[in-house]
Amino acid sequence: MKIDKLSTKNESTWCPGCPNFMILEAVKKSINNPKNYAIVAGIGCHGKMYDHLNLSGIYGLHGRPIPTALGIKLGNPNLKVIAFGGDGDTYSEGMSHFIHAFRYNADMTLIVHNNQSFSLTTGQSTPTTQQGYINGDSPKGEINTPLNPIKLALASGATFVARANAMDLNHTTSIIKKAIKHKGFSYVEIMQKCLIFNKDMNELDKIMYKIPDNKNLSNANKYADQWNYNSKKGKMPLGIIYQTREPTLFEKMKI
Amino acid sequence: MVIHNILIGGKAGQGINKISEIITQVLTKYGYFIFNYRDYPSLIRGGHNFNVISVSDKKIGSNPTKFDFIIALDDNTVKIHKKQLNIAGSILNYKQFETLGRDSNIALVASLLKIFGIPKKEIISEVKKLKTKSSLNALEDGYNSQENKISLKKLNNNLKLMSGSEGIALGAKNSKLDFYIAYPMTPASGVMHELANSGNKPSLFQSENEIAVVNSALGCSFSGKSTMIGTSGGGFDLMAEGLSLQGQSEIPLTVYLAARPGPATGVPTYTAQSDLNIALRSGHGEFPRVVIAPGNSKECIEKTNEAIHLAEKFNTLSIVLSDKHIAESQFSFDTKIDPILKVPLNRKIPGKSIVRSNGYEHDANGNTIESAKLVEIGAKRRISNYKKIQKYCNKFQMVKIYGPKKSKNLVVGWGSTKSVILDSIKGLDVKFLQVLYLKPMSKEIKKYIESSKNVILVENNSTGQLGRAIREKTGIKIDNKILRYDGRPFNRDELKLKIEKMLK
Repeated sequence: MKIDKLSTKNESTWCPGCPNFMILEAVKKSINNPKNYAIVAGIGCHGKMYDHLNLSGIYGLHGRPIPTALGIKLGNPNLKVIAFGGDGDTYSEGMSHFIHAFRYNADMTLIVHNNQSFSLTTGQSTPTTQQGYINGDSPKGEINTPLNPIKLALASGATFVARANAMDLNHTTSIIKKAIKHKGFSYVEIMQKCLIFNKDMNELDKIMYKIPDNKNLSNANKYADQWNYNSKKGKMPLGIIYQTREPTLFEKMKI
Repeated sequence: MVIHNILIGGKAGQGINKISEIITQVLTKYGYFIFNYRDYPSLIRGGHNFNVISVSDKKIGSNPTKFDFIIALDDNTVKIHKKQLNIAGSILNYKQFETLGRDSNIALVASLLKIFGIPKKEIISEVKKLKTKSSLNALEDGYNSQENKISLKKLNNNLKLMSGSEGIALGAKNSKLDFYIAYPMTPASGVMHELANSGNKPSLFQSENEIAVVNSALGCSFSGKSTMIGTSGGGFDLMAEGLSLQGQSEIPLTVYLAARPGPATGVPTYTAQSDLNIALRSGHGEFPRVVIAPGNSKECIEKTNEAIHLAEKFNTLSIVLSDKHIAESQFSFDTKIDPILKVPLNRKIPGKSIVRSNGYEHDANGNTIESAKLVEIGAKRRISNYKKIQKYCNKFQMVKIYGPKKSKNLVVGWGSTKSVILDSIKGLDVKFLQVLYLKPMSKEIKKYIESSKNVILVENNSTGQLGRAIREKTGIKIDNKILRYDGRPFNRDELKLKIEKMLK
């Protein structure tokens, strides 16, 4: 890893070859004026972003990066705030915050590292794990079908929804840059492989394709429907799935 | 000592609080001390609500079991409370003014104040605030319906009448609090409402739940803003993990915990002192905290200021513990509040420097660590911070002692039982030790207990939670306990009898 002013001296505890290294690099490439940033991480493999980014921030609780980051933004609206969450973190433990974040539309960014698995706790199912996945909690296979967080975000009034592929550094970087620039709450889901757990879902690259930036809600819903998180079939659009401009929390609060 | 006790009863929505407000405002201006107790079930319209107003020429802070006047806004009030009327007492009944409709309330207020001999103009100025012409006619009707039986003299007292919630809110404002974050929950919401109507500072935010409240508050505080949150027991339980994050990350945080009877939903609009245990212990792991319990609205102002000051000075968790009885009752006071403590806000803040706060065990720069040596250093840092807090708190009134100095009889209590204990021991050979700091605890407690012959613990709960905390701190077990745990506060006449009985 390149040692620059955004890096820390902390030893990496990610597995060799983990796509989190790519996400880390994409985030670093997206940040200008680092002193003006504050980050929050939840708990899970994604959370180690905190350890490797020399930025102000809070290494918070599992499921709670969104409200913690919102608090930082409330306290100092001039800061650029990024919350990092995992799929278990955001869609399971912290789901209520995820939905409300779209309603508030605070000017901040959420990056969800989605590997469709609770990997750090040895690979149990998350809400976006495919049906049938055999793991420590479900020896006979996961019985439920996954939820579609992109659809949920759109239904919750999201003003910026994007999906990226961790392995595509340049595309991911361009999406994160646009998310940071967005006026309002920006949500970026980064699909990543886990090299250890739920490896069944590691060949999704085949169905991924890039879309042009989209500002049309009905097209956004169509994009959201193209992949159901449950199989390697269908098409998985990458890019800005939806962007619109609505009053931000601070415009509404007049602070 | 002059005391008049008035019960005002009716259905929710009939304007009981409005009537109380007129009476208490008029009598406060007339120089009389007031204690106003509110009793209401968890519903919006209907049911049976009542307020008990005690009016006195001396300081008073409790309600009795018997009343001198009953203002009945419905038949149910007469049925339920008739037995509690003193022999010489009288009932002012809505039926007398039935033709006035809703304005009968004003007529009843005017009747009562005429009995007290309050000049009509004093009442008019309060009623005028309601801005309806018909209420002035009702006032006239009511005033003319009674004779002046008790001539209350105008007293030269300059009194403030304030609820505990108003006190907490004022304490926060005095501390120049930047942010108050909450989710609605009785009886804590009064503070949020009070702050919402008091200008721009502190800023307010209502989160989606208490888990969001505590985590957002830590984020807000991290960004350099003094931050307070408020809730009751159930919401506080939800916050527990966040309190623990405070302990590890050492981001300053002040929590207002207004207790009500549990477990679970319990009796949500009534009172209890049953959440001292969670205030002292909630949150996993071992980390410092401060728990302070004010006993009336004046102490709410002062102790909230101390709590916010301590949170910022020591990057710690400060909990201000009250209950429904303090939060929603109104107390008069005539003395100045303690000088306002400045809240030191000199932390490093993001935007100006790189600030890293970590919920994992961490080194001094906020970097995650797991080595045995650094884990131990982290724990030692928290222990040493608590020792500093303990030492520093000695400059505050951690306990207060009342009553005859040489008495060998001691009542020990905390929080909302303060005022009723003071009212009950008047004329008795009994001292009262009020514990304000539950954590850290004053060393004085042991001395006071050891130098007394009879020690009685008075608490508004079923297990004696202060007794347990004192035993843990001092090794002394207090066997004589007077506990009330029916959701209602102690009444002063009832408590006096119990204390007397225990001393025989």
